Amino acid sequence: MRYVDEFRNPQLIEKASRELHAIVEPDRVYRFMEVCGGHTFSIFRFGIQHLLPPNIELIHGPGCPVCVLPMGRMDDGLHLADEPDVIFTAFGDVMRIPGSRGTPLELKAKGRDIRMVYSPLDALRLAQKEPERKVVFFAIGFETTAPSTALTLIKARELEVKNFFVLSNHVLILPAMRAILESPDMRIDGFLGPGHVSTVIGVRPYEFVAKHYGRPVVVAGFEPLDLLQSLIMLVKQVNAGSARVENQYSRVVPWEGNERALAAMAEVFEVRPFFEWRGLGFISQSALKIKHEFAPWDAEVHFTLAGLRVTDPKAAQCGEVLKGVLKPHQCKLFGRECTPERPVGALMVSSEGACAAYYQYTWQGAAGE
Amino acid sequence: MALKPREETLVFLNYGERTLSDDGCLTCGNVAVPVRVLKVQGNVAEVEDRLGERTTVALDFVPDARVGEMLLIHLGIALGRAQEVE
Repeated sequence: MRYVDEFRNPQLIEKASRELHAIVEPDRVYRFMEVCGGHTFSIFRFGIQHLLPPNIELIHGPGCPVCVLPMGRMDDGLHLADEPDVIFTAFGDVMRIPGSRGTPLELKAKGRDIRMVYSPLDALRLAQKEPERKVVFFAIGFETTAPSTALTLIKARELEVKNFFVLSNHVLILPAMRAILESPDMRIDGFLGPGHVSTVIGVRPYEFVAKHYGRPVVVAGFEPLDLLQSLIMLVKQVNAGSARVENQYSRVVPWEGNERALAAMAEVFEVRPFFEWRGLGFISQSALKIKHEFAPWDAEVHFTLAGLRVTDPKAAQCGEVLKGVLKPHQCKLFGRECTPERPVGALMVSSEGACAAYYQYTWQGAAGE
Repeated sequence: MALKPREETLVFLNYGERTLSDDGCLTCGNVAVPVRVLKVQGNVAEVEDRLGERTTVALDFVPDARVGEMLLIHLGIALGRAQEVE
């Protein structure tokens, strides 16, 4: 049995870093995108960027649902909280997302009934406990979170709970990768694939990246050695001119994913024709809508939503950071008006947002840069 | 909550360092919590994280989970099982 000690063993990490330095071709630049916010967080936390040859550039991808949620969508959700018989529920991370009238936490302070839940199942239980009120769950997240929402809706139907509604903001990681690959200024040589999203969807769905776009994907774990090993795998593929999908994180990620979780998602959700992503704009077939069969629990059917589009604060350059055009500290607001305590842009809200991770682990150390 | 022997703690860490009380960004959810199954009752299991904190999780997506097995959970629901690393 191998333990995490090995995935953090300084000698092994040094060896992997030396190998990486040895195999990179000096006259080319390798641009790899880590799709997942969890990887961004690990890279900054463990200082992985300092172990890399200077010609490997890591680009922080769109893999943080809080970061890519457009402000108008948050406003739509909070608009529901204005209705006196509504209890608005959401995850803790959502509580700090700024809408144009403030964050859910600020509106809670102004007297709205807004409650933090740990699981959508908790929101369903709350609805059972408070049958006189309407409980709205603000659902958000990628394919790791969507199965839990799906299971909750299936249970709501089984238990015939009539006062529970879900506002689905679930998004899909693959269309976002496709949008990035289609973008004309795309300069990415390979991807570090998300770890636990792949527990659900498996490894097979990434094959289009290799087949149609000729870019390698390595599904990676979160430990320092996991990340370095995955980068070695990517560099070797780029050097050899090959593009395959590899699974570095096989101790957790099965090739086929979790069939039951996928089946629950397929039962409850259908793909929206298009959905807006903050910083990336509208991406076709990139989000999940609740199917007609589950309409009695769909907040978009039961309530009237304004569906307004709200422009982001002009000074915040979240879009450029999300696309890898700017580094977090190159944004005009970074560390001044926009901090983890008072975020202006969404990338500062979640601890796994590129700006928050950069602020916490890198920027203070490099002050005056 | 009793402290676990070092070896056992390391097995948990193999699959991530999140715990039930510190589980990172929920909406990202790309970082699930590794837990050990203590008891299975129908489609619910009692589980324990590396710090000995316990909770119950729904087994709808991992219906054949067994006592002693390591699972990855997210939002009170088991998403997958961890493979032993050789």
